[in-house]
Amino acid sequence: MEGNSVEEVEIQCISNLNTLKQYLCQQDNSENAFYFSNIPEKCKEFPCILGIDEAGRGPVLGPMVYGTALCCVNDSAQLAALECADSKALTEEKRDKLFETICGSPDLLGWGVEIISPNSICNSMLSRTKYSLNQVSMDSAIGLIRAAVKAGVNIEHIYVDTVGPPEKYQAYLLSLFPNFKITVAKKADSTYSIVSAASICAKVVRDHALSVWDFQEFKSNVKDSIGNFGSGYPGDPVTKKFLTDYCDMVFGYPMLVRFSWQTAQTALDKSAYLVEWEDEDEEPKTPAGNTAITSFFKSTSKSIVRAKHDFFIKRNLKNIVDF
Amino acid sequence: MATIHIQSGKNSVNYQTKNVKIQSIPCKIHADCDAKVSQYFNTYVKEKKDSDSILTASFRGYPLEGKEIQLPKGYKGVILHESVRPDNDTDDRKFYCVNTFDSFTYWNWNKTPTGNDKMIKALDWIKIAEALHAPIEEE
Repeated sequence: MEGNSVEEVEIQCISNLNTLKQYLCQQDNSENAFYFSNIPEKCKEFPCILGIDEAGRGPVLGPMVYGTALCCVNDSAQLAALECADSKALTEEKRDKLFETICGSPDLLGWGVEIISPNSICNSMLSRTKYSLNQVSMDSAIGLIRAAVKAGVNIEHIYVDTVGPPEKYQAYLLSLFPNFKITVAKKADSTYSIVSAASICAKVVRDHALSVWDFQEFKSNVKDSIGNFGSGYPGDPVTKKFLTDYCDMVFGYPMLVRFSWQTAQTALDKSAYLVEWEDEDEEPKTPAGNTAITSFFKSTSKSIVRAKHDFFIKRNLKNIVDF
Repeated sequence: MATIHIQSGKNSVNYQTKNVKIQSIPCKIHADCDAKVSQYFNTYVKEKKDSDSILTASFRGYPLEGKEIQLPKGYKGVILHESVRPDNDTDDRKFYCVNTFDSFTYWNWNKTPTGNDKMIKALDWIKIAEALHAPIEEE
């Protein structure tokens, strides 16, 4: 953790919840982080299935995490024995336990996550050429597949929990990875065990990223007083209270918050100073010299003002007598 | 027309702002107040990867790209503060200088600052003004 005087060894391998937390503390939470476990040797040799799912897409707080899990097709029975289920259907304790089982089976399973920071989500959604959350999500899934390919995984079949209409997404992934079987489905996290495992990795990593969240904008005494900020879902009263209590009139919120969410925007419109951004197109609205033809028949008392030279216009230079 | 007075603000306004960095961001905040810049903004200012001293930061979730701009030699930037603005156009106005600066960080919204940005180009005027106002030397 930043500001921690104890020199910590950089975590290379996440093998349980403890090392996961240490790893998360070592990341700059305003940026994305990417982690991939070691790949079981047999997964490089024999055909594998690979599942992909996400956690934290909806909430106004914290990172969105994309997770993947992989194992040999022949080990399906062993995978089923772990009793992974849709992460949302499990209690937090059960998820944490299953996560440790997944990490603790390096000869059976490989797994990886991309932690997409709230700041990175806002920056994408509020960029000039809008980069939608759907696209961010797909690109993250694609990144995980590429990382598995690069690590030498012998992929046979990829199962993905869908973002939007499954047919379109599946066709898109197939166009990028024509050599793999790809199944994109709704509720894949409860249908396919390998997607369940991926969803557990993603969900546990997101939950712990929140639990160790280091508010870089606050001094330690403020950090300690923050306490709980809730689930991050707009309806959660704890989250609502957090958004009210930690709103800065000028800057809005700490970087934990996704500014691009309607909930955050509405709250800022109500309680923070109004901020106006420069127009996307700075071009003048009516073309210069475009005078209505009828104007030539009207008498005008206005004196003709000579237009400023282009040099000044291009530099926003004006004569100011009042300010 | 009313006269404008500019005075040193050493004794009148807090001089704590001395030496703070000036940030020019591409939006208008409808407020005139102190802001926790070092806490909320400077904390996240980073050098852009694979770039030549271009900086990145965020304001209210918007991605910004910035560049440190040096003022021309012999010039100083001043930040003025007006305690009371007269309610008519004829009274004199008094400004206090609360800070001076030799450089500032110029930020664009999601666009790398270049010589084509108005603010950077505006500094050209200084050289032109110098040339225009320089005494003509007879040869």
